[in-house]
Amino acid sequence: MHPFAYARPDKLDGVLSILNEHGPAARLLAGGTDLIVRMRLGHIRPAVVVDPKHVSDLSGEIVTTGHGVQVGARVTMTMVIEDARMREHFPALVEAASVVGSIQIRNRATLAGNICNASPAADTVPALLIYGAVVNIVGSGGARRVPLTEFLTGPGKTVLARGELVQSIDLRFPEEPAGAAFGRITRRRGVDLATVNLCGLVTASGESRFAYGAVGPTAFLSVDSSGLLGDRPIDEGRRAAAFRALVAPARPITDVRGGRDYRTAMLEVMTRRTWTKAIERLRRQTNGGRPV
Amino acid sequence: MSRPDWIGRSHQRIGARDRVTGAQRYAADLPFGDVLHVKLVHLPSARMAIKNIDAREALAIPGVVCVLTAADLPQPVPRFGPAFIDRPILATGETKFFGEPVAAVAAESKDAAEQAAAKVRVDAETLPAVLSVEQALDPSSALVQDPSIRPDDPLARTNVLREWTFGWGESSAAADLVIEHDYRFPMVTHFAIEPHAYAAAPDENGVTIWSPTQHPFVLQRVVAAALKWPISRIRIVAPDPGGGFGGKGWPKFEPLMAVLALRLGRAVRLVLTLEETFQAVRRTSARIHARTGFDREGRIVSQELTTDFLIGAYADIGIRVVSKASYAACGPYRTPNARVHARALLSHTTPSTAFRGFGTPQASWAVESQLNEAAAKLGLDPIEIRRRNLPEKGEAFIPNDTPSDGNWASALAAARRAIRWDDPLPPNRGRGISLGLKSSSTASASLAIVRLHYDGSVSVLSGTSDMGQGARTVFAQIAGRELGVEPDRVAIIMGDTSIVPYDSSTSASRSTVFMGNAVIKACAEIKRQLRTLAARALEMDESRVDVGPGSVRAGDKDLTYPQVLQLVFGPPRGELIGVGEERGGGFRPNHPLGGRPEFWEFMCSAVEVEVDPETGMTEVTRLVLASDVGKALNPQQVEAQDEGAAVMGLGHSCMEELILDDRGRILNLGALDYRIPTIQDIPEELHSVLIENEDGPGPYGAKGAGEGGILGLAAAVGAAVNQAVGVTMRDLPLTPERIWRAIQSRRVQPAPGPVEATPVKR
Amino acid sequence: MSETTERRVLRVNGRTFDAPVAPHHTLLDVLRDVYRLTGTKECCAEGECGACTVLVDGKAVCSCLVLAVEVEGREITTIEGLGGEGHLDPIQEAFVATGAVQCGFCIPGMIMSARQLLSTNPNPTREEIQDGLSGNLCRCGGYSRIIEAVMRAAKATT
Repeated sequence: MHPFAYARPDKLDGVLSILNEHGPAARLLAGGTDLIVRMRLGHIRPAVVVDPKHVSDLSGEIVTTGHGVQVGARVTMTMVIEDARMREHFPALVEAASVVGSIQIRNRATLAGNICNASPAADTVPALLIYGAVVNIVGSGGARRVPLTEFLTGPGKTVLARGELVQSIDLRFPEEPAGAAFGRITRRRGVDLATVNLCGLVTASGESRFAYGAVGPTAFLSVDSSGLLGDRPIDEGRRAAAFRALVAPARPITDVRGGRDYRTAMLEVMTRRTWTKAIERLRRQTNGGRPV
Repeated sequence: MSRPDWIGRSHQRIGARDRVTGAQRYAADLPFGDVLHVKLVHLPSARMAIKNIDAREALAIPGVVCVLTAADLPQPVPRFGPAFIDRPILATGETKFFGEPVAAVAAESKDAAEQAAAKVRVDAETLPAVLSVEQALDPSSALVQDPSIRPDDPLARTNVLREWTFGWGESSAAADLVIEHDYRFPMVTHFAIEPHAYAAAPDENGVTIWSPTQHPFVLQRVVAAALKWPISRIRIVAPDPGGGFGGKGWPKFEPLMAVLALRLGRAVRLVLTLEETFQAVRRTSARIHARTGFDREGRIVSQELTTDFLIGAYADIGIRVVSKASYAACGPYRTPNARVHARALLSHTTPSTAFRGFGTPQASWAVESQLNEAAAKLGLDPIEIRRRNLPEKGEAFIPNDTPSDGNWASALAAARRAIRWDDPLPPNRGRGISLGLKSSSTASASLAIVRLHYDGSVSVLSGTSDMGQGARTVFAQIAGRELGVEPDRVAIIMGDTSIVPYDSSTSASRSTVFMGNAVIKACAEIKRQLRTLAARALEMDESRVDVGPGSVRAGDKDLTYPQVLQLVFGPPRGELIGVGEERGGGFRPNHPLGGRPEFWEFMCSAVEVEVDPETGMTEVTRLVLASDVGKALNPQQVEAQDEGAAVMGLGHSCMEELILDDRGRILNLGALDYRIPTIQDIPEELHSVLIENEDGPGPYGAKGAGEGGILGLAAAVGAAVNQAVGVTMRDLPLTPERIWRAIQSRRVQPAPGPVEATPVKR
Repeated sequence: MSETTERRVLRVNGRTFDAPVAPHHTLLDVLRDVYRLTGTKECCAEGECGACTVLVDGKAVCSCLVLAVEVEGREITTIEGLGGEGHLDPIQEAFVATGAVQCGFCIPGMIMSARQLLSTNPNPTREEIQDGLSGNLCRCGGYSRIIEAVMRAAKATT
């Protein structure tokens, strides 16, 4: 690895001023599971690496807020998976976080880091999208909030401007009962990057939110408010059409992990399966936890 | 007093303790005091014409001592190779494969070497590369090798390095059913968890090279030839490899390291990254055309195979892989008429090398798949069709060659039971079975030295490499049995050519048989000496002295070995040294392979899978192996090897493939996108059944083992997938996407009509 | 901000190491090259193979993805920190007993992952073992003996 200077400020201001001063020549080191790989391969050569893990304003905790939870910048995948509130209110996110790499990766990789790395195939992103995640950004110029749908702008690209970082991610508790499920296609059953990943959520009132990754420059969210994908009997053909509309924005490519036509076909298969699981879980919710 | 028998028991592996504590020293762990760190410089395409190399910026980095290029070497650039002397120590003129080094940097620190390597400016131009079997055979393609390297070879102006025709019987014979297809076996890499690592240093005799090589004596002679030095001046120290599988068998960068060490007068070390290791070694990929004729009872009438192996830019041991695997490609079957046309094809790709199975997995994929298809077309059970074609023990199935040496039908029966072949099958599940046959060593030699110390403890000196198969343990068990000594009083010394005697190689599953026999012979020699010396010391006739394991009966006296040694040597002490040699059936110059296989390694693999027909994702639910091992000297070690080989086979069957772009770059270079089986990919049921009839040529009736599990695995998986979802696959690996595609195209095409036996017109 | 190599204090296996460490050196580099603890192995250097697994405050991480300077003040455990004078940790014993060890190169990393697993889940199911060790590759064996070893170690410690 190319040498760099290492900074470990204990205040947020310290981090921000370094990021401001050096711009793209400074990199934030959260879990390191993406950054260190890229540095080793020589894809990036920062002059400064800033370690924010000792900054108290960058929380390593999941905090209950009025309407939901706030996941601090330093929260790891393992913390997300083990948190009782996440498991109860955002189970599909826990499912997604559980397949990010191995336990060694999950003990270090942060949720914030995952979205900042902005890989189109990031597993947590579809789950965060269906749960309506909002990103809290802070910079020397102040703070702003950006919905995750707008935060990701392309492969490896976000709206973060020079000198900005993600301070936390907000998730609102669902306002009505809902069922959600995560799914993905991989090349082997073991640890893998997704060929296609997705997350689907269906509410009791029939709104459906499905988000897809690895099939476009960024993950995308499709919302169906028609109610056609709710838990109600409808004509199979209309449901199939509604599924097709969900995946319509997908722009899959052919790469080492999969061919375009395979990905396209898997979107259809996995949408149907994920929807079925989401409906089952919705029913369990609305039946007070009793299986249907 | 009865002693426990050391043979046939799963003794604790020698070296296990060091491996679980982190004390085991692999090549990259060896402490060197004053050593220079080496980093290789390689280019971004497979074939590039080297115009100029500018090392000035690199040399300006503090701590950088040297940047060596081909121009700095004696001209013409020295070449090396175990069989064919074709590989230059550094790329000269043009690179021939992605990863071939054009320069080597030596520096005082790893950091300096790495930075300097990035600063070596190479002016090079990408040239069209030959990357496939089709391209290699195309007469308009570029020549991979300069024709002047083999001036007397009529094939010199082609990319065919060598071709063979093996066969017997008629070249065409009437058959009731003819099945003819092309099969493909992909490029895969060994991916031992230990990347390659080397060191070299001048010493008082010449040069010492540290390399986790499976064949220290091959390395010794190849380096000697490259340097034009006598063998006696080259010392190879071979730490136990962290996985070999053939990839650490044949010389790669050791000649370069020797040159660097001697030029700089200092110790040098090189540790490859995993990516560089992928670029350095792979299995031969192949396209196999198979035309198999059957009678309506399913008996094989004829096999005609064209085996085209893409061996890579340099021969390495590729020629041997092709000839050995092709010669026996028809498998463990009575084949009255056979023709195998084999070709070793050059290409601008990583030089392929030995890899567990040595060409047989590639051939088996084709031949076993043909049998499965014939079974389906004739309405025969796949086990039954094999049973009908299996030779009896003692029956020759390749004319004038080693006959069947096992009760092979019993392995088939054992696998059938173990996988519960006749259980009802849930939907989307299928089972497959296959046989694998590999010829062991055909002409090789192993020497062993055993030293009986004054106190009765023993040292065994052997050139075998313990790369995880447990060789040390097996030799300790043998010495223990022969000399009646506890294995913890046996020291096994390996891996240093200045100490241990000659051994051909650790390959071809040969070491238990060859080195094991050599150890037995060395122990026998010691017992002979004990007899003679005891008789002389006790002033009695030798006929009255009887030497058993650990004790000597002289007349009516019972003496331990130490007691005899004290009697014989007195206060000046001493030791007894026995030398044993095993050469097997020996070298036969008229045999196509140089000799007959000493034994056949035979394996029956059976697999059950469940396929998700909508996604193609496949789960292997059961995997059983039945291997004909003669005698398992250490059953746990044999089973562990069988299981490991089978899971490795799942790799090339289901997920492994090196993907190249049109410039010959490996796109999935590294662990992220080159997928091997993980702990989550293994079947719930995985076990190995050992058939032991004590009918092998090795110690106590042993044969070799370790490769069987990988030989026929792919065809068993293919057959299982076929039964599960009705698709026939002929290209590996059977990834989810490929299976999905096959299912889609089967849906699109009209269903085939009833299959008729096709008479052959001649 | 530190550009150059500075003395850093790291705690490994209960011992304090005080040595010059450059920021760009990973924990793996420093363990092996500076502290000469070569039990932790380097293979893929990108967090995919697990050969470099160590524990940081009891949690398994890939030491190739951790900068040494990041873990000042943390408790680092390597394979050399298991067991004691002349005796093996039950996990180490179990790996030997079940034949899980072949070439051994993956083993230190496997054992460290198993260590974390058993410390948080003393009675894991087969699936939980597979999940806990999913980041550790083995090429010699078929993993089944490794699973057996972890189960055996779990029994031995209850």
